[in-house]
Amino acid sequence: MTAPLPAPAAPHPAPVASPSGGPAATAATAAEPPVVVGDDTTGRSRAGRTWRRLRWPLTVLAAVALLVLFLAVVRPATSAAPYAPDNPESGGAMAVAEVLGDQGVRVTHVTSVAEATAAAGPGDTLLITPNPSFFAEDQISALNRTGADLVLVQPDYSMLAGLTRGVVDSTYGEPAEPVEPQCDDPAARAAGAMRLRPNLYDSSDGSGEARPVLCWPDGNGAYAYARLDLADRSVTVVGDPTVIRNDSVLEDGNAALALWMLGQNEHLVWLVPDPMDTSTVADEPTPSDRGQLDALMPPGSAPVALVVVLAGVLLALWRVRRMGPLVVEDLPVLVRSAEATRGRARLYRAARARGHAAAGLRAAAADRIATRLGLARSSDANTVVDAVVTATDRPKQQVADLLYGPPPADDAALTELARRLDILESEVHRP
Amino acid sequence: MVVTWRAAALMGLGVIPVLFLPANGTVLVWAAVVVLACLADVLLAASPRRVAVQRRVPASVRLRAEVTSELVVRNVSGRRLRAVVRDAWGPSSGAGPGRGSGDRVRPAAGGPGRHHVDLPDGEAARLPTTLVPTRRGDRAAGGVTVRSLGPLGLAGRQVTLPVPGRLRVLPEFASRKHLPSRLARLREMDGRAAVQIRGEGTEFDSLREYVVGDDVRSIDWRATARRREVVVRTWRPERDRRVLVVLDTGRTSAARVGAAGSTGAPRLDASIEAALLLAALAGHAGDRVELLAFDRTVRARVAGAAGPRLMPALAESLATVEPVLLETDWAGVVTQVRTRMTQRALVVLLTTLDPAAVENGLLPVVDQLARDHTVVVASVADEEVARLRAGRDTVAEVYDAAAAARGDLERTAVTTMLRRYGADVVEALPDDLAPRLADEYLALKAAGRL
Repeated sequence: MTAPLPAPAAPHPAPVASPSGGPAATAATAAEPPVVVGDDTTGRSRAGRTWRRLRWPLTVLAAVALLVLFLAVVRPATSAAPYAPDNPESGGAMAVAEVLGDQGVRVTHVTSVAEATAAAGPGDTLLITPNPSFFAEDQISALNRTGADLVLVQPDYSMLAGLTRGVVDSTYGEPAEPVEPQCDDPAARAAGAMRLRPNLYDSSDGSGEARPVLCWPDGNGAYAYARLDLADRSVTVVGDPTVIRNDSVLEDGNAALALWMLGQNEHLVWLVPDPMDTSTVADEPTPSDRGQLDALMPPGSAPVALVVVLAGVLLALWRVRRMGPLVVEDLPVLVRSAEATRGRARLYRAARARGHAAAGLRAAAADRIATRLGLARSSDANTVVDAVVTATDRPKQQVADLLYGPPPADDAALTELARRLDILESEVHRP
Repeated sequence: MVVTWRAAALMGLGVIPVLFLPANGTVLVWAAVVVLACLADVLLAASPRRVAVQRRVPASVRLRAEVTSELVVRNVSGRRLRAVVRDAWGPSSGAGPGRGSGDRVRPAAGGPGRHHVDLPDGEAARLPTTLVPTRRGDRAAGGVTVRSLGPLGLAGRQVTLPVPGRLRVLPEFASRKHLPSRLARLREMDGRAAVQIRGEGTEFDSLREYVVGDDVRSIDWRATARRREVVVRTWRPERDRRVLVVLDTGRTSAARVGAAGSTGAPRLDASIEAALLLAALAGHAGDRVELLAFDRTVRARVAGAAGPRLMPALAESLATVEPVLLETDWAGVVTQVRTRMTQRALVVLLTTLDPAAVENGLLPVVDQLARDHTVVVASVADEEVARLRAGRDTVAEVYDAAAAARGDLERTAVTTMLRRYGADVVEALPDDLAPRLADEYLALKAAGRL
């Protein structure tokens, strides 16, 4: 029996429940909140705090700076560049440079063609160590114009052609047994029998005024050393860089040959080419280049640009200063409850577990249908199928296949099964 | 030390003299002028450390209700104070733009809770900021930042003052909209309806004369025999029964439920809504309501509050309850219930029907509870899973539906197990759980099972 009669007017007003027991916002402020003036700091305390905050970083920075300074003072400046006069490793050439320095030769270490042309002049020696890259055409002509005696160690083809006026060319040869120089050159005679790579040959046509002196032949027309005397200077070429390398300078007559070649003049300019170097002569960019840039810009644009940059700096300072610190807040975790279900669905899909998926869909559909038809949850398959057949007038085999049939063969079949289960479910009504 | 856009603009005006005298020296002179003007402004600005600030905030507010945080700023610097003042609140506090209006105060752009202030020495102003909190719990305010600018407005000084402020955000109790209808049904049951109906309650109330419409089964023949008229017994629902609401604050309560696409809300929030509605209803029905929030220890507890003090006490203690990423200790729950409830009571477990968690935690102990008490297990279902269940459009959706169906079957199995142990199970979507649980309570009360 139900209660059909309407309730009479409530004898007391319907209570309005509110968790705060009053209006939405409890206006009662418990106690008068404190009045805050200042942040309890003085200029002095702020300075002290800044100092305390910065002293350790500053100490560390100062220590690092001191250490760097100490190392710079105590340790001689060395480098790791190959054939550099300040490189004490096996690939360097510090040994030769030091001995030359002790013998009164002033060694100037340069790394660009511009520096080399600026430092070397007539009466100097200009050593060009092997170039990891290639010199440009104008760089070679700039080196030619210095008027200094040139010493080329393992030059490449273009350098050789440009700096020896094409009378010496390079070939390829392997060093065999030590051979006597077999030529009339004081340096070669001082060095004596040596085992050098013979990769130079005479390419002059014999008509020119200059013919190179070639030493240490290999018997096949290739030589290891060439010397070309021009009117105002000489060009010496050694195809084998072991002559000046630290690790091999003591072998055979390497030292004698190197000192003889490089020690002819008071001043030696030691050019270790840098692959990034594209300079030819000093004082770049030229004034004419800058004049072109100025010609393109309206007059007075540089100061205006400076004003704009300074205004931009002020704008950045305005925007960068935050209006007080951020207020931090602990946020609750953000894990969706459905993630477990989605994860399980992806596992089914990745494993192609269509049987599992179909079984789940079928069992759920059968469960809902059984509930709707008033069957017990423990009813067996036959009972359910019979009840569905009665409720829907479908063939028994079809219903049994749908609810308890074999697992679907592919994803399309699974989708189809899900759709047909839905239709079946929609046809089942309470008997 | 701060600069404003005016300083940059002043620097930009330097283009004019530079166009007349295009030289780097002109730029340097102009830059020096700007720097000097800024320095003068900084020196002439009122000290932001000599401003008295007081923050007035209501002690508590209900979730999503509007409340005003008010700063009272008094200029005690001895100079005119031109400043921007920021009343800083965390993102969940839902602070809006400054709301002040008048000669002295106007809202400032750039973010929530910012006010332009222009105060002569010794004067004060109120700076109201609207807060609409979006999350339950204690919301602590940040500092109050005062950026005091000089007379030119080019530069100034800034300081953040540590002004305390805290707002307790109480549960929304949106489910209170279901309360009037449930109270009406309670009153019907309670004997204020015209006719007493047998079966509505089991506690003997009184004898009265038969009126047409009364259930003849409730006629008291012995009393009728003693008197001339027919007398019926009236019954009323039991009063002063005990109701213990146990909130599971363990890891499963942290999961978000709600429509796909939104961030959703933790399950715990829906549980709290249900707990509040049940408590309000039971409180009006005259039952004694206790509450326990538990995962591995007691997170909140309300006992002994009755009448008008009940709901404020519940709201206050539930405001700060947060999910804890721990597995709930159900044996501990049983111990707590045993120590608190010596006589038969209605024990409502607001938890999750997560099959693995229930099998390992709740199932082994639920029969111990069900032996001594009436146990209702209430669980928040997920709307998104319900949506997944219906997906058929693509292969991926069918797999989702299959996984959801499999989960349903497992939950059904767990529900069956719980029912077999003697517990009632209520599972509903977040918005429906509170009314469904209230209905379950009314049904139990009507059946006299409390």
